[in-house]
Amino acid sequence: MKKLILFGPVFLIIVILAVWFIDGMGDVVQPIQYNHFVHVQEEEIECLECHQYAEDYARASIPNIDECADCHDESELEDEEEMTSDEDIIRQEMKRQEKKILFAYMAQNKKIPWRQVNNVPNYAYFSHRRHVKLGGIECVECHGDTGKQTTPIVRPHETRSMAWCMDCHEKENVSNDCYACHH
Amino acid sequence: MPKWGMIIDLNKCTGCGDCVTACKVENNIAVVGQEESANGRTMLWMDIITTYEGEFPNVKVRHMPRPCFHCEHPPCTKVCPVGATYLNDEGIVAQIYPQCIGCRYCQVACPITVKTFNWYTPEWPGRMAEACNPDVAVRPMGVVEKCTFCIHRLQKAKEQAAVEKRELRDEDYVPACAESCPTRAISFGDMGNPTSKVSQLKRNPRAFAVGEDLGIEPKVYYLSEVE
Repeated sequence: MKKLILFGPVFLIIVILAVWFIDGMGDVVQPIQYNHFVHVQEEEIECLECHQYAEDYARASIPNIDECADCHDESELEDEEEMTSDEDIIRQEMKRQEKKILFAYMAQNKKIPWRQVNNVPNYAYFSHRRHVKLGGIECVECHGDTGKQTTPIVRPHETRSMAWCMDCHEKENVSNDCYACHH
Repeated sequence: MPKWGMIIDLNKCTGCGDCVTACKVENNIAVVGQEESANGRTMLWMDIITTYEGEFPNVKVRHMPRPCFHCEHPPCTKVCPVGATYLNDEGIVAQIYPQCIGCRYCQVACPITVKTFNWYTPEWPGRMAEACNPDVAVRPMGVVEKCTFCIHRLQKAKEQAAVEKRELRDEDYVPACAESCPTRAISFGDMGNPTSKVSQLKRNPRAFAVGEDLGIEPKVYYLSEVE
C-alpha cells in the first residue's frame, strides 16, 4: 500500500507527460512565432490581403518576405512604445525578437521557411478558388478562427478526412463523383 | 450531361508523336527506362500504333494514335472488384488510384490494352520531377493507370466557366494530345451535342471505331485514310 502511495503520483506524472509529448508530436515548429491576433484583430487585416491567391488559384499561398515588406521595415525596431505594465514590456520584447528574425530574412533576401500545416495528400486535388470564390465558403469554416490565435499554427483545425469533405459536398449539393477530387 | 469523345483523322496524322509526349508530360507518366520497356512495361496513356504494309521499296506506313476509348460499355469496370474504375456521368471511364488494389483484372479485360501498371515507384531523370503537373496525382507503385481525357483540365475549365458565369463551351476543354497535335488531326468535344464538331465528324462516311463489334461502344472514332 505504501508503495502505491509513493509510486502512484510518479506514475501519474509519467502518464501525463507521455500523453502531452505524444499529443505534441504532430505539431510543426514555425521559424517565426507569428501572431495572427495582432494582424487580424488589432490591425484588421483581411485573410485575403496576405493569402492573396485563395480566390483565384488552387493554392491560397503563404505570405513571405515580399508581402511582409509591404508593412514592415527595420525602423520599427527603434520605435518606442509606451509601456505601462510588466506584461506590456514582455509582450513588446517578444514582438521585437520575432521582428528581428523577420528582418534578418529580409536583409538576406531569404524566404521564410514556413512549414505548411494544412495540406492534402498527393492523390486528392483541392482548389481554394472552387471553395472560396465559387462556393462562397468563409475561411473560418475549414481553418477555424485563426484570427484569434496568438501563437503560430502548428496543426490543422480539421482532420480533413474524406468523409468530412463528402458530408459537406452532400449538404451543399455539389458533385461527389470521385473524379471531382481524385485525378 | 455532355458525353466527351474524340475523333482522330488518320489522314492528317503524320505519326510525329507530339500527342504521346504532351500526354506523358501533362499527366506525370513515369519514365521506365530501356530495360523495363523491353520487358513490355512501357508506360504510355496515348500510344501510336505503327503498321508497315508492303515490301521495300514500296512500303506504306500507317500510324494510329490510341488513347483510352472511354467505352460506353467498358469491360474493365465490370471486373474491378473494388470500384476503382467506373463510367462517370460524363462518359469518362474513371480510374481512382487510392481505391485501386493492383489486381490488374481491368488490364486483362481491356480489349485495346490501354491500361498500364505501375511496377515501381515512379521516377524521372534529373530534375524532371520538379516539372510534374501539380493538378495530376503521381501514382504510387502497384496501381493501374490510364488515359483520363485530361479530366483535370475539365475540372479547371468548369471552374473558369463558373467564375465567368457562363456555360462550358466546347473549346474550353481540350486534352493535352488534341492541343499539341500540329496537324490538328485530333478533335475533341461533346458527342452528346449533335451540333458539336465531333458529332459532325462522327457522321462523316470515313468515320469508324475500333472494337465496335465487341459491343463496347467506344467514344474515340477514327477517320480512315484516303488512298
